[in-house]
Amino acid sequence: MTVYVLCFILLLVGLYGALTKRDLIKIILSLSIMGYAVNLMIILFAYRTDGSFAILVKEGSNPNMVDPLPQALILTSIVIELGITAMLVALAIRLFQQYKTFDITKIRRLSG
Amino acid sequence: MKQRDGMTLIVKTVTRISVWLILLYGIYIILHGHLSPGGGFAGGVIIALALLNVMLAYGRQFIDRWVNIGFLHDLESSSAALFLAMGILGMAVGGGFLANFISQGKLFSLLSAGTIPLLNIIISIKVSMGLFVVVWTLSVFHLDKGGKEE
Repeated sequence: MTVYVLCFILLLVGLYGALTKRDLIKIILSLSIMGYAVNLMIILFAYRTDGSFAILVKEGSNPNMVDPLPQALILTSIVIELGITAMLVALAIRLFQQYKTFDITKIRRLSG
Repeated sequence: MKQRDGMTLIVKTVTRISVWLILLYGIYIILHGHLSPGGGFAGGVIIALALLNVMLAYGRQFIDRWVNIGFLHDLESSSAALFLAMGILGMAVGGGFLANFISQGKLFSLLSAGTIPLLNIIISIKVSMGLFVVVWTLSVFHLDKGGKEE
């Protein structure tokens, strides 16, 4: 149970950063941390004590293995997070070109 | 090459030695994808990081002279078509999309698991070239609105 609570705290750390920080790069990092917390939570749901890798279970041996389905799911999720992070960084670079700052309180007026 | 391109001589020398080891590790991860944790995506990311290591140490102009970015982009796009071709080949020969159509080999040996190592290699090309071209594109953003080459 403790690990789930810690996982939720990690999600709250990301949410805190995304809501209170003013720097665009810190906001992007906070969104990444929230995503990692969700990934970790889903991996932890599939964890089994003393289970082995699904790929390492040989024929006729102990079938107590960790569920591989969420791991494959999370691999896809990591790829999508990579794409989202790349797009957010690209948008941040474009904003920096326009406003010469990463501070979101100073990015107010339309300029173009 | 001028000294002001990229980082200092120490970083360049260390990169010259370490980048081949990183590439070798990425290839190891890809080729053992069906035997151990890792595979096409993880190995592709490691290969992309090796190329990014060169780009950070030597500067982007060196990368532009060294490799053809358009070719890398073509490689990345064509690997998706190659994956589709493997799937359709499985449909034609093996009886279903992405079905295995070559020898499965011995269990837990390097040359086993049928077409999965080939698909791992295709995915690794896709991921490594895609990730590298993304970061390269971010580094040329300042040039498109009349910016100067530094």
